[in-house]
Amino acid sequence: MKLFAPIRSFLSETGSVARFVSRYFQEIFQPRYEVRQFIRQCFTIGYKSLPLIGITGFIMGLVLTMQLRPTLLSYGVVSKLPVMVSLAIVREIGPVISALIFAGKISSSMGAELGSMKVTEQIDAMEVSGTNPFKYLVVTRVLAATLMLPVLTVLSDAIGLYGSYLGVNIKDHTSLGLFFFEVFNTLHFGDVLPATIKTFFFGFAIGIIGCYKGYNSSKGTEGVGRAANSAVVISSVVVFIIDLLAVQITDVLGLN
Amino acid sequence: MAKDTINNVKLGLFISSAVAILIISLYLIGRNQNFFGSNFYLRARFSNINGLIAGNNVRFSGIQVGTVDKIRVIDDTTVEVTLIIDKSMKPYIHKNSTAAIGNDGLMGNKVINITPNKIASPVIEEDGLLFTRKAPYTDEMIEKLSSTNNNVEVLSFKLVNTVDQLNNSKALWSILNDTTIPVNLKLSINNIKEASIKINELMDVIHEIAKDLHEGRGTAGMLLKDEKAATDIKQAIANIDKASQESVTAIAAIDSVVQQLHEDMFYGKGAVHTLLRDTQFVSRLNHSMDNIEKGTAAFSEDMEALKHNALTRGYFKKQAKKTKSVK
Repeated sequence: MKLFAPIRSFLSETGSVARFVSRYFQEIFQPRYEVRQFIRQCFTIGYKSLPLIGITGFIMGLVLTMQLRPTLLSYGVVSKLPVMVSLAIVREIGPVISALIFAGKISSSMGAELGSMKVTEQIDAMEVSGTNPFKYLVVTRVLAATLMLPVLTVLSDAIGLYGSYLGVNIKDHTSLGLFFFEVFNTLHFGDVLPATIKTFFFGFAIGIIGCYKGYNSSKGTEGVGRAANSAVVISSVVVFIIDLLAVQITDVLGLN
Repeated sequence: MAKDTINNVKLGLFISSAVAILIISLYLIGRNQNFFGSNFYLRARFSNINGLIAGNNVRFSGIQVGTVDKIRVIDDTTVEVTLIIDKSMKPYIHKNSTAAIGNDGLMGNKVINITPNKIASPVIEEDGLLFTRKAPYTDEMIEKLSSTNNNVEVLSFKLVNTVDQLNNSKALWSILNDTTIPVNLKLSINNIKEASIKINELMDVIHEIAKDLHEGRGTAGMLLKDEKAATDIKQAIANIDKASQESVTAIAAIDSVVQQLHEDMFYGKGAVHTLLRDTQFVSRLNHSMDNIEKGTAAFSEDMEALKHNALTRGYFKKQAKKTKSVK
């Protein structure tokens, strides 16, 4: 029986996550809607994450360009640098890096915030006072995370491509117009749309895991730390798992 | 509350900028794929599309004008490609334009190149069928290259043989090793050089002469240029002509004289005729000469007799003494 304990705990965890998710979908369509709280969460989760994700995207674009250049140079196709970098950023690196940074910043803060509220019994107090804590705390956060990550990813892609443009201009010279002409000449809807759609799932997963971990934390302050930590770890892994699923699905649908 | 409003504005700016970027990107990508804007369709049929896929670019005289929309197999030898073309290009694509599948660069994607024809033709209608031209495919190029390779192989083999023969040729090597040849060659070249200098000088002289001739200097020049001389010469020739005519009359006169002389000589009665033609006269002359000879001999005897004659002996002695004293 002891041998099956980890499996059993894994299965019970999965089951409670599934119930948490189904409750989220039940609550989201039921009035009353916490619009003001949702907008505040959007501001906190989305707008305040922009500097971090923007810097990350910029550095990724610049570094990727500089790293790819010697290889492309040895093949004599340095002129294809914008093509390669734009495909890499838009299809994979932009969404995944943004999601990972987002998970690190948002999932942990959700886990810690909701966890401390849970252990200080603020959630219970909220329930007593007649406010639906799930609607007020979880739905707004998860929805904000789901909608803000795509926005952040688009901006991060744009900043990353600008970084790539600067990276190209370190060794070679190209105009911004030509660079973006080549980028958009390369990109197809099949590159942009699946990448954008999967960021909604990333955002949802990050939000829901962060909230679940915080909402179900226990054992005092130690539980809060653990909730924050496991929220980041699990949501990062889930981002990659969703990425794997997304590439399989786009491949099956022939969008790749 | 005021802070909330500012935050909302920031959030709105944040979201709308991202949405704007996404929409602009999608529009730019869509424009490249002709999802927006007014387009029309054209068709082209190929026997082999060589890996062309939907979404590949279509170029008209090198300008990006559209993309490949769909590809469908009509029968076992024909593949029909539908092209989406920008409507603004419609007035320029004529019915006799030809489509060919090409490569965008050495390793790039396939493209369809529409080439206009110089011969006038009406503008193509929507959904019209373009003529197609078979472009040189890589496989065919490689096939040709392999036959070229074979030729090169044969050539190189023959070249090796030639070089062997050259290497084994004693005559060639003796020519190459002969150190006197360069010296002689150098001398010959020097001679040629000198000869050419002389030819140049000669040419100068000829030039000078020609110039003189042209300007009418010297005898030849005068002949060619001086009109007075020409008149004189003409006059002289006329005179010669006249003289020759007169000489003809003179010759006729001489001829008649000779004729007369001839007749007189052979048939006349003058002294010449007698001398030349009268045989009787000759015999008489001979006879006379004989008589003279005989007369002379008799005279000599008479003279001898006189010398010995007493009456005349003294005279002859006197004569002999006179001759001696003179000597």
